[in-house]
Amino acid sequence: MIRLNHLPTLRIKPGAPRSFRYGRRRLQGVDGDTVATALFANGVRVFGRSLKYHRPRGLYSLDGESSNTLVNVDGVPNVCAETTLLAEGMRVSSQNAFPGPDFDLLGFMDALSWAMPAGFYYRVLHKPARLWPLAVPFIRKMAGVGTLSADFQAPGRRDEIYPAADVCVIGAGVAGMSAALAAAEAGLRVVLFESRPWPGGAFEYRPGTARDGVAYYRKTAELAAAVQASPHIRLFLNAPVIGVYSDGLVTAFQRGRPPHPFDERYIEVRAASVVAATGCSERPLLFDHNERPGVMQAGCAHRLARTWGILPGRTAVFSVGHDLGLEAAVDLFDLGVEIAAVAELRQDGLDRALVDALAQRRIPLLRGWSVTKAHGRHRVTRVTLAGPNGRFRKTIDCDLLVASAGFTPVTGPLTLAGARLAFDAHTGFFLPASLPPRVHAAGRLTGRQDWHAVAVSGRLAGLSAVHDSGIDRTAAIGESIDELASLPGPARGTQFVLAPGSGKKAFICFDEDATVKNVDQAMDKGFDVPELIKRFASVGTGPGQGGIPGHNLPLYVHQSGASPDGHPRPTTVRVPLTPTFLATYAGTRLDMSKRTPLHALQVADGGRMERLGVWHRARRFSEDERSREEILAVRTAVGMLDASTLGKFRIFGPDAVKVLDRVYVGDMTRVPRTRAKYSAMCNEDGCLADDGVIVCTGDNDYYFTTSTGRAGMTVEWIRYHTRFDDWDFGIVNLTDAYGVINLAGPEARTVLQRVTDADVSNEAFPYMGYREFAVDEIPVRAMRLGFVGELSFELHVPASWMVHVWNRLMAAGGDLGIRPFGLEAQNTLRLEKCHVIIGSESEQRTTLHDVGLGFLWHRDKPWAKTVGDTALRQTEHQPGRLKLVGFRMADPTAPLPGDGSVIVDRRIRGYVCTARYSFTLKEPVGLALVDDALSAEGSSLAIHEDGCGGRLARAVVTETPFYDPEGLRLRM
Amino acid sequence: MAFTITCPICGPRSGYEFRYGGEDKGPRPDPAQMTPEAWCDYVHMTDSRPGVQKEWWYHRAGCGTWFTIYRDTTTNLEVAPDSPETVA
Repeated sequence: MIRLNHLPTLRIKPGAPRSFRYGRRRLQGVDGDTVATALFANGVRVFGRSLKYHRPRGLYSLDGESSNTLVNVDGVPNVCAETTLLAEGMRVSSQNAFPGPDFDLLGFMDALSWAMPAGFYYRVLHKPARLWPLAVPFIRKMAGVGTLSADFQAPGRRDEIYPAADVCVIGAGVAGMSAALAAAEAGLRVVLFESRPWPGGAFEYRPGTARDGVAYYRKTAELAAAVQASPHIRLFLNAPVIGVYSDGLVTAFQRGRPPHPFDERYIEVRAASVVAATGCSERPLLFDHNERPGVMQAGCAHRLARTWGILPGRTAVFSVGHDLGLEAAVDLFDLGVEIAAVAELRQDGLDRALVDALAQRRIPLLRGWSVTKAHGRHRVTRVTLAGPNGRFRKTIDCDLLVASAGFTPVTGPLTLAGARLAFDAHTGFFLPASLPPRVHAAGRLTGRQDWHAVAVSGRLAGLSAVHDSGIDRTAAIGESIDELASLPGPARGTQFVLAPGSGKKAFICFDEDATVKNVDQAMDKGFDVPELIKRFASVGTGPGQGGIPGHNLPLYVHQSGASPDGHPRPTTVRVPLTPTFLATYAGTRLDMSKRTPLHALQVADGGRMERLGVWHRARRFSEDERSREEILAVRTAVGMLDASTLGKFRIFGPDAVKVLDRVYVGDMTRVPRTRAKYSAMCNEDGCLADDGVIVCTGDNDYYFTTSTGRAGMTVEWIRYHTRFDDWDFGIVNLTDAYGVINLAGPEARTVLQRVTDADVSNEAFPYMGYREFAVDEIPVRAMRLGFVGELSFELHVPASWMVHVWNRLMAAGGDLGIRPFGLEAQNTLRLEKCHVIIGSESEQRTTLHDVGLGFLWHRDKPWAKTVGDTALRQTEHQPGRLKLVGFRMADPTAPLPGDGSVIVDRRIRGYVCTARYSFTLKEPVGLALVDDALSAEGSSLAIHEDGCGGRLARAVVTETPFYDPEGLRLRM
Repeated sequence: MAFTITCPICGPRSGYEFRYGGEDKGPRPDPAQMTPEAWCDYVHMTDSRPGVQKEWWYHRAGCGTWFTIYRDTTTNLEVAPDSPETVA
């Protein structure tokens, strides 16, 4: 198709072709086309088929108000062709039509529409119940649009940004841009969202002239240039708003195009003030076959010509109810469209100049007339018009019917922000009756249609936003109010919705194929509130998010006399205002994780790294999943574990010890300077929250460790439980400042002695001792602990010196067979010793008593108000709890039960926490939480595993620990 | 969480930066006088009244302070401490 390429309002580059595929056809559009305009320019009129009746659907609007033009683009279903810019090489195909939209095998569904009244699914298919399973597959096949496979991965690059702003303006039309400029003048940071690919809104394409004689499009372009030149305004184009929330939170997404480094990005702004300048959409006129391809809104027809250089038809009939429709008729006539007739709903109040212009062009103007029916199977070929009383009728041949009843304000963002709407009879609009603080409305959505009035209302909103932020604008606001009063006020609008006719095929909602008749049926059933009718008759619940029926439904219901209080009431608007890909919400999917100072060394040593919480840790250092060599090295020689992920904290100050006494179950008043104290934290239920070691490093100065998973919330926990006490203490998270090396095994002391001058003999540095010494002048905090059940030293080293100390120890132990060991080896080693890991041997309801750590609890410190103390007292002898026990298999050659397998008799009696093959004991051993009735030594446990087929494994509760029960090896 | 919270140290900030710490129930009562049931109620039960309540928040992504604000649970907005609704 030849484009009009001389218009100053064009947004396309006619000289820059873009080729794409549509089904099997190779087509060409131009740069600046949307998928919809490119298809239209190539003669495509039927874009797809409707949801229920498979009626042909075409281009009706241009901003995604309906699902008419949903297509599949590059494998992604349900892409709105109207709002997607064409790109070179795109593969577009139609949906919901087989073999194609022009001839669809399911087209006969339309003839069966009588069989599907409103509430069809609810009312018909649920009885008898046995029919439902048969009906489901059929409905599934018939309903819904587009197909998506379960393993579909959204293509493209996603991003997310959270810009800071003082003012967020929604809509970069004349009002929005004026508001943004007024706020920017005061130096405020403004974020301006525009859903179209360019700013300008309702004026940027119009050649008509404002009161000062300058064309609208020129004035609008000047405003846009000022916005784009302002350093204070960040304009997001192609960025529809998703939602507006309280306290100025606005979410949106932006569609990217080169050179943007993303295909779509999520935007979230928290602004001090919000200005809604979302303008109007056109109010659809309801008549029979009002959605036939060839029927379109006035703005759609006009913009096709002015913005994309495409003539929307050869011969057109207009049936409109506003001056913009008359303006479009005049302009399209001048551009070469034959206008057979203009039916105008209004009898009076028409713009004189436009009426004269129509007369000069000899275009018949029929006042008080309206279209009642569109004819033609797949596209409009003829229309029937009817006069004011519905008696006089005319039928006119045409290929384009421009139909539009009036305007509907786009109030979604405003209502989400908390505005209350009330119906205004003069404009026929739902207007904001009250606005929440720091929310302002401006522009055409307030009913004003005059360029200057729209601009000034925008400026007023912008000034009000500035005023909100504490900059006095009283004078300027007063001036703007005066100026606005001198300009044309809100224009009178029609309340006309339904043309005379049966309404059988007058579609109030295109997405869900709901007709006016369906709404009547719902009202016959007794529904009287639009909110309920909307659901029963499925009106406005489709992808267009109510763009077509939005305000038509409440108006129609009101006019029918059904509404209980006599006031039209809009239906509730919800997010997302524009359908948004889930992938866009997911954003960049950044995986935040931490590496220990030894990460590279661990990998170089063959460590199999694994993600545990936020950390990467080495599970093992060989192919052997049971880590035999590592375990034997620790039991017979010496090994080293990177334990840097432990939580590490300093707590100091005059009240530090009170804090420790509050959160730890033990008595912290006597932690000697040379000893490490093992203790646990409980929650108020007495359940185990954490365990760790506390050392005293100076006067009122303590250093303590927490388990890896608790490091992130320890400060919060401690501050929470001391919030009512005005205690003087400081707490510092040193988790990342220190690394930890666990040097363990009978040769550990030999290795350590080789790298330090300090005396680390058993006499000088006994079990559970704490020492500070230097390794090559590096200060090391050393604790003699025994988590793995051997002589071991836990060395806390400044993170930046970790590699050095590790390498020194490695070199020092080379002749002794030193080697790194991983988490798997550690797990088996500590299991043999029956040392618990919180989260493995405990869960939400496991108390300190349950895991056998009750001896840590110091019951005589009521002054401390220890967290969990009360519950520990109350549950100490509570029967029926799950207790931690050790078990061996009745048959030592039986396969190892999996962690988490349940222990059963007639019912579930507990579960296996951890079970491993012990190379030291040469048989499997495990820890389990079992009903206290089964916890006595010698009790038999029956273990059920998934897939065991009822063959239960037998285990026996045995004495713990399994390894070195006297603890001699820790003290050697 | 689409609301702002006024931290006593950092000022009004996005609600996403905070962790909720529950209704304010005052300092821990003396457990010696309490039955296990009464203690359990203190630990777990909340009033959950519609309207303005005093509650604890922690500035997790900020200064790390626990503090109380008043919030209207029906509008999900913070209420100034000196406004008349805060008098329970």
